[in-house]
Amino acid sequence: MNLPNYEFLSAPIQLVTVLHLLTLSLHFLAMNLLLGGVIIVLIAGLRKQWDDPTLVKFVKLFPVAMAATITLGIAPLLFLQLVYHRQVYAAAIVSGWFWLLVPAVAVVVYYALYRTSLKGERTGKLSVPALLLALAGLLYISLTYSSVFSMAEQPKLIHDLYAQDQSGWVWNPATGDYLLRWLHMILGAIAVGGYWIGAIGKDSPVAFQTGKRFYMVGVALAAVAGSAYLMTVPGLMHTRAIWGLVVGIILTLGSLHLFFKKKFCLSGVLLLGSMLMMVYARHMVRLLRLADTYRPDSMRFAPQWGPFALFLVCFVVALAVVAYMVRLLTAKRA
Amino acid sequence: MMYPFWDVTTGYGILMACIAIVHVFISHFAIGGGLYLVVTEQMARRHNDEPTLAFLQKLAKFFVLVTLVAGVLTGVGIWFIIGLLNPLATEALIHNYVWGWATEWTFFVGEIAAALIYYYGWNKMAAKAHIIVGWIYFIFAWLSLVIINGILTFMLTPGKWLATGNFWDGFFNPTYWPGVIMRTGVCVMLAGLYALLVASRQAAGEFKARIVRYSVTWGLFGLALTTVVQRWYLSAILATLTTKVLPGPILALRSAAWLAIVIGGLLMLAWMLARRLPVIVAALLMLSGLAWFGSFESFRESVRKPYVITGYIYGNGVEVAKTDKYKKEGYLAQITYRTGDDGADLFRHACRSCHTLDGYRPLKPAFDGTDQKFIASIVRGAHLLNANMPPFFGTAAEADQIAAYIYKRIDQRPLDQIYPAADLGRQAFTIRCAKCHKPGTAHDKSKSFTGQSTDDLNGMLDNLPELAEGMPAYTGNATERAALVAYLQSLGKVAK
Repeated sequence: MNLPNYEFLSAPIQLVTVLHLLTLSLHFLAMNLLLGGVIIVLIAGLRKQWDDPTLVKFVKLFPVAMAATITLGIAPLLFLQLVYHRQVYAAAIVSGWFWLLVPAVAVVVYYALYRTSLKGERTGKLSVPALLLALAGLLYISLTYSSVFSMAEQPKLIHDLYAQDQSGWVWNPATGDYLLRWLHMILGAIAVGGYWIGAIGKDSPVAFQTGKRFYMVGVALAAVAGSAYLMTVPGLMHTRAIWGLVVGIILTLGSLHLFFKKKFCLSGVLLLGSMLMMVYARHMVRLLRLADTYRPDSMRFAPQWGPFALFLVCFVVALAVVAYMVRLLTAKRA
Repeated sequence: MMYPFWDVTTGYGILMACIAIVHVFISHFAIGGGLYLVVTEQMARRHNDEPTLAFLQKLAKFFVLVTLVAGVLTGVGIWFIIGLLNPLATEALIHNYVWGWATEWTFFVGEIAAALIYYYGWNKMAAKAHIIVGWIYFIFAWLSLVIINGILTFMLTPGKWLATGNFWDGFFNPTYWPGVIMRTGVCVMLAGLYALLVASRQAAGEFKARIVRYSVTWGLFGLALTTVVQRWYLSAILATLTTKVLPGPILALRSAAWLAIVIGGLLMLAWMLARRLPVIVAALLMLSGLAWFGSFESFRESVRKPYVITGYIYGNGVEVAKTDKYKKEGYLAQITYRTGDDGADLFRHACRSCHTLDGYRPLKPAFDGTDQKFIASIVRGAHLLNANMPPFFGTAAEADQIAAYIYKRIDQRPLDQIYPAADLGRQAFTIRCAKCHKPGTAHDKSKSFTGQSTDDLNGMLDNLPELAEGMPAYTGNATERAALVAYLQSLGKVAK
């Protein structure tokens, strides 16, 4: 039967990959603010390091950070199908229930963050149980992502696990493959959380010092965990991933330097750049591991330039309108 | 068949409905509620109406908590669940409509940013700026409906796209425009319903009466618009359907019509009780609205059967374009993820999306007391059954493998040992005949049994495969046969 064939790419794979990596980096930036921020605020709160009003000020930001994390996470999830084809979906099905629990857990996290934020507004106090619940949820989501995406890089593992159990209650047993990477991500989140705490709380010496400490320590520990993980990936030195990593490390150091000088905007730009490089390196590692079974450029190219142009125009307009609304919001304060 | 199969005990339909119905119920409110907030705020500010502004601030908080949390995450949940339940259809939708989804995402970014700024800026922003943000929110939210509606209606009525494969042909399909207008009406109706829930918690009095009647007007206007446009929408669907409309979707549609009357009645009641509207009436309205949406979405999903994308991909992930390949090579050759149990793999990919063995749409009671040969005949003739079932394109040997898989899991005692003698004839008819010849349906043969002798009916049972294409041979034992013949005679007498 002569029906349209859906196995095509409607834009060059390089373009789709750039969009995927860019939106994924933005998602990570927001997610790291949230995860790292929650960890830092909790530690500070439990140690009675800060006064409650300062903590409450940060906690009020968390629901917005959660909204940004989710919103910015949708686009990379969409492009995933085009960049890695069937790999991630297949792995997600094998871990179906764990995967489906992610949005359910995210609902709980979101409400917990609103609860603590609204309580802070009302009473000026921090709700530690709500923050702990949110942290537990965020850790579950991040670990599930690491488990599924790691499984997605190993087609044989997906086949083997599926052959044994089709119920969707299968957790990726190859923990050695992703625990270090997950740890690297958590430590990286603490580093980025440190950046945000320092930048937002720049007027409070305690907040800035705390942010600075977490940024530095987070970067150092994330580098150790990341290096340990990379040693488990054979053939890495022969790919462009290594250059992505080198540039990423340089940009991180630059960001730290500017952070110390309280040049937060420039520091943030470099931080985003370093995250983009890390995401690129991760992408290259994934392609390296999938090299025997999948080549992203093997799919037929049938352009849809009209719809793509519509997307691009709407994207630019949406960003401009968001900037305009932020200006409206801050105009009153000025 | 290129993906693993998620073999959950819960029915796929239930899982999908649980997430999707909650999502559409909130997401339509997210659009209508935005319009309600900004229009009402604009009027309230013009008249310096402080009580209304205070009410709107409460509503905005409720609005943000419901839409940004539950609304957004159930939306993400739909992405997750469709990827698990029908990954191939999801893949086809993404490859064809990635820029449609991506455009919708840009509107979503604007919508979320506007919602947050609108909420947090309530006491901080200048009135004019706040209203501008409110309008921006509504425009982005409605534009996301405009895009999503194109993809949703494409799945139901792909129109010329099936021939051209052109993005816009599929997007502006035959049900696109009625879909947009009808859903806009639903958004307005839900804005009224949700606002009534918040209004019902106000203290009894003049202000409550005013805000309740105002919200009832929204509800009634939205309901009227939805009802009028729904006829256009339905006629557009019926004009393009290539399959018969079954009792299921018709029942869902009737339920939706009755629930619309209930909603209208409750709105009138709310109008009359405006000064003291109890929470229970507002809650009943919400429940009726949810049930209405459930019925409507159930109609939309079931009228599309046996397809998930009409004319393109069947509900079980079988691709229409590959039917020749399936017939030639069989299903097993196409299944990428195998478990070593071919019968189970075939059952999963051919049947399991819609049927469980003993839970949702169970097959066990449908085949208890029968045999492998009978089950295999039913599998091969699935498209002839009294339901819009996807045809089975696999080989005869594969149909036998599915039958063997099911047979192993059913009650293998003969029917006369499972059911009491008094009920045996009816049960035998239900299991062996009513899958196609249910009394009162298009293929009801009751009249043809009128005046038939026992010998005539036994003769008919001996030659079933010769009567029509796909009729399974009769394989029951003598006791069951005698009871069935007696039951057929009783049907003939009733039909006379």
